[in-house]
Amino acid sequence: MKNQLKVLRAMRNWSQADLGEHLDVSRQAVNAIETGKYDPSLPLAFKISRLFDLPIEQIFDDEFEGGNDV
Amino acid sequence: MFNADEDAGSNGKRILWMSLCGFGIIMLLGAITGFLSAHMEEGSGPLNLAGYAILAAFICVTLALAFAIWRLFRQMKRSDQKVPQREKIYNRFLIGSFIFGGVTGLILALTGSFDETEAGLISNDAMSPMLAIILSVALGVIVPAITFYWHKNLVDEQEEAAYRFGALIAMYAFWFIAPVWWFLWRGGILPAIDGIALYFITIFVALIVWFWKKYL
Repeated sequence: MKNQLKVLRAMRNWSQADLGEHLDVSRQAVNAIETGKYDPSLPLAFKISRLFDLPIEQIFDDEFEGGNDV
Repeated sequence: MFNADEDAGSNGKRILWMSLCGFGIIMLLGAITGFLSAHMEEGSGPLNLAGYAILAAFICVTLALAFAIWRLFRQMKRSDQKVPQREKIYNRFLIGSFIFGGVTGLILALTGSFDETEAGLISNDAMSPMLAIILSVALGVIVPAITFYWHKNLVDEQEEAAYRFGALIAMYAFWFIAPVWWFLWRGGILPAIDGIALYFITIFVALIVWFWKKYL
């Protein structure tokens, strides 16, 4: 899943280690999320959302373009 | 900042190379021991020039591999100057386990804890009851306790996912390899199924997939 994590992190001048410290995950986890190799769990996504004070959908993009698919 | 990030991202490759170098050192030490044992068994006195040259070549390559590990470790340490607390404890735990495992293996090998017929730990040959009990307690009680602590306190969700995927692929590997081996044994093509060999294949598959998902 595409995301803005690297941009948001850079805006705060944080390293992956800094972000990992804030989220209580390893740098590998931050790296894997940033590069789209790993999609975080809902609890971690909410934690990221709270940390950057942004809604989840502004950080993560599931690339869904349709309207009513429910 | 971003250089450090690149370092963090490429630590997986460093760990892979360090593991391969470590494996190479173990193989070379085995080769050196085998070479010297064979020479001593022949009883042909001191080594000749060719013997010394072979031994020196083995030792040089071993030292080169050890140096490569040290260099890679230094590079990792440089990129590890600031790491999350959880990862710091994780790394210490990992290094401690490697050192403990290595030292234990070395002590077992040097003290000749195996019977003369034994090729080592990974064989089906007999071992002394005391060694069997020690290894059983280690693998049946101590390692599970450490593993439980490891998963409960040190592993984050990305690594947990890597473990899960590794376990899934390993389970499939077991499901398919065991019957294929069994059929081939019944067809007289392969020897009878070796449970421990299957165990190691399963563990190896899980380890490779875990490493790929966690670091690469």
